[in-house]
Amino acid sequence: MRRSSTAIVGVGSAAVLVAGWLAGSARFTTDVPVAPATQLPIAETTPPPTDAGTSPLPTPTEEAPVVVACNGQIVETRYGSVQVQVVLTDGAITDAIALTLTDSSETSVEVSARAAPILREEVLAAQSAVVGNVTGATYTTQAYLSSVQSALDAAGFTG
Amino acid sequence: MIRTNHVGVDSVAHVAEPARRFLWRQRRADTLEGLSWFSFAVVLALFLADGGWTYFTNIRDLPTGTGIVAGLIGSNLLLVLLLLAARLPVVDRAIGYDLALAAHRRLGKPVLYLILAHLMLLLIGYGLALGRDPVAQAITMITTMPDLPQAFIALTILVLVVLTSLVIVRHKLPYLGWYGVHLLTYAAVLLALPHQFGQGELFAVGTWARWYWLTLYVGTLAAVLVYRFLIPLARNLRHQLRVAEVRAEAPGVVSVVMTGHHLDRLAAHGGQFFGWRFWSPGLHLEAHPYSLSEAPNGQSLRITVRQLGDGSHRLLSVRPGARVFFEGPYGLFTAAARTTGHTVLIGAGIGITPIRALLEDIDTPSGGLTVILRGDDEEHLYLRREVEDICGRIGARLEVLVGLPPHQGRTWLPSAEFAAGQTISTLAPDIPDVDLFICGPKPWAELVMRDARAAGVPRHRIHAERFDW
Amino acid sequence: MSVHTFESMGTVISIRLAPDVGTDAPDAARAIAPAHALALAEIRRVFDDLDRRFSLYDPASELSLIADGSLPLSDSSPEMRGAYADALGWRERTNGAFTPHRPDGVLDLSGLIKSVAIERAGRVLERHGHRVFSINAGGDILTGGVPSGSAWITGITDAADRTGLLTQVTLSPEWPAVATSGSAERGNHIWLRPDTDRSFRQATVIAESIVTADVLATAIIAGGQTTLDHVTDRFPVAVLVQLAGGALLANPAFRALIVRGPDGRQRLDLTTEPSHDDAAPSPVPESPERPA
Repeated sequence: MRRSSTAIVGVGSAAVLVAGWLAGSARFTTDVPVAPATQLPIAETTPPPTDAGTSPLPTPTEEAPVVVACNGQIVETRYGSVQVQVVLTDGAITDAIALTLTDSSETSVEVSARAAPILREEVLAAQSAVVGNVTGATYTTQAYLSSVQSALDAAGFTG
Repeated sequence: MIRTNHVGVDSVAHVAEPARRFLWRQRRADTLEGLSWFSFAVVLALFLADGGWTYFTNIRDLPTGTGIVAGLIGSNLLLVLLLLAARLPVVDRAIGYDLALAAHRRLGKPVLYLILAHLMLLLIGYGLALGRDPVAQAITMITTMPDLPQAFIALTILVLVVLTSLVIVRHKLPYLGWYGVHLLTYAAVLLALPHQFGQGELFAVGTWARWYWLTLYVGTLAAVLVYRFLIPLARNLRHQLRVAEVRAEAPGVVSVVMTGHHLDRLAAHGGQFFGWRFWSPGLHLEAHPYSLSEAPNGQSLRITVRQLGDGSHRLLSVRPGARVFFEGPYGLFTAAARTTGHTVLIGAGIGITPIRALLEDIDTPSGGLTVILRGDDEEHLYLRREVEDICGRIGARLEVLVGLPPHQGRTWLPSAEFAAGQTISTLAPDIPDVDLFICGPKPWAELVMRDARAAGVPRHRIHAERFDW
Repeated sequence: MSVHTFESMGTVISIRLAPDVGTDAPDAARAIAPAHALALAEIRRVFDDLDRRFSLYDPASELSLIADGSLPLSDSSPEMRGAYADALGWRERTNGAFTPHRPDGVLDLSGLIKSVAIERAGRVLERHGHRVFSINAGGDILTGGVPSGSAWITGITDAADRTGLLTQVTLSPEWPAVATSGSAERGNHIWLRPDTDRSFRQATVIAESIVTADVLATAIIAGGQTTLDHVTDRFPVAVLVQLAGGALLANPAFRALIVRGPDGRQRLDLTTEPSHDDAAPSPVPESPERPA
């Protein structure tokens, strides 16, 4: 190719790559303006009071870490509009939560109990978890014989 | 007060017609090549827009991300490969089918490497995430995930295609065997298609990416179908080419004249070549590329072929009346490829034949055309009489160089002329401002090109007919 | 804990029984394990009776007689009519996604009957004094109590790789039952089925009752996204859906039931979109760290 053509293709390609990258970054942003108006104290629910000092949950009124949640900007994802709520514990991000906006209202943020995408890595438990039963789509007797459940049953494994 | 620039008006240089055509061709070639490069950027941009950059933010997803990118670029390159071999007229007119085919052959191995990398990296990446070694991961994928068995078969086909195309292997295979495996590439493309759409999110339903990718594939396969198969088929049905006469020109050299219907509509030019498939014992299976040895005259087509070991010796046994299937015309070795008004044609041995055909197509005023014929001896100056006749008729200068090259020194000239100090500049005085057309055995042609470059002929004005494809 | 298996309704039923030993009285007399045999025999009868009445593979069953027209529904047993009424009730509750009517018009209550059998079997066990048990009938599981020192950890099959598990969840008295329904079709032909990589391949529902879990899992596969949203909105259930393309959907209640790694936390990755857990508040981490 001539030099001028190479330059054109080079610039064009770079532009399109940058556009793609920008589009991809906009899908999730960790921009969290720490505006006081949107700070929501969480850990409102206190654990049932126990006199034994064995509660693993420090109550918020004692030397509890300061936990705040801040709402970030609304982004468009393939599954709908999502607003990110970032949870900060003692100033460090400890959780990032997607609040799915319901279809009916764009303006009010409603927390949804609906099923949302989850990564396989989040779902994959530590290998040390020991299984007693396995659920899956109904297996016939024939299929049972080669199933994980039959291996567990034959070994008398109860988990 | 308006000042006009009179100097400009008087000395406006009209761009010569050939130069303009050359520029147009160059632009077209650049556009084609530029679009190909750009398509890689587009598919990568789609990957990034889908959030693909997140694969590169941590070490664990790095193999998966790189694997996906390798697959995207590999498939895109494979489509370019198919288009290069699809005999697209726009490609032939811009860079010449022979150059396109050379590029096609060069890209074969990179495609395979990219797709192998795609597989390996994904096996490692998914295996890391799911805690399996690559072999177990591969087995899981083949046995449980839809469309992946086909993708694995497609990869196996690609490996076979590349292996059988390696020079070492190709010589050992019968032509049909190699060709059959090669055509399986189309099957590989189709088999690999479903898994690209079914796995992952990039080409998911409702995305722009899906439409784009689908269009690329459909477009490429449609182009291949039309230009590689349907149009040649239609042309053959229309022209019904048959052998009219077979005659020996010289020991070991034979001319075949063919006639058919509507040959005046066949838009061929002197200097172009066709792929010929003679319906004759031993010649059915392979399409041999030979240049026309006379410019198409609307009535017949003629080729002149030297018998080498590749089955061309069987041409002598072709009977008049035998059906001929052709593909083409192809090639940029034509009068239309000129960029200036001065032309020099140099042909050696059987390379004289396209030169002879080209000659008829050139409408240059006398004095602007030099023809140089080269042969080891008189016998090797094929079609010399015809060339002399034409040169005399149109007033072109003709130089005939006969004799073996010297033992010492590498030159394209015979020993006598070389010793006498002749160079390309003395034989063709208009150099370097000429278009140089060279046709002959590859080592000899390269020597001519070296001398021409040394004499200052720019690369874009040296046209060489490649006989080695 | 002991494991007992038997075959019925075309599948294998696995029952785990534990002696109910209290942890607060280590020196108390070891509770005598209730006699298994009586309970198991009764459970077998429950399954076989229901199978005999409702199996469409047995031409002599009451349901088959109704299917081929020789017995009008109005003349059928009260139990049959009761089951039909229940099925219709579920059809209403799932807006038609779950239905006892097959496309060819045959009344098919087999979807309901297995889980009804499991539920009754659970009651049988409780009546016989077994408080800690699990019943797995062909992939639908009901648990009772909590095994001492441990938990009812249940794996969920990966529809794409049946030898592997997608995840493991903890069943408990609050969430005792789990059922999984799968879609048999593969349909990945890109020209004809453009939606199939988004369609539901497998749905797992964890609920208070096995019948609820089973019906809703079936409904979700049949009804797709609309039914999934409806179910998660209206029923107190934990749901995991596996899409044909391999992607996963889970609601907040399900996330809370996933067996955690040793640090008890989800992996914090800011490039994904974890859901907000409104069913059970997240415990405040004891030692907050920056995510890796």
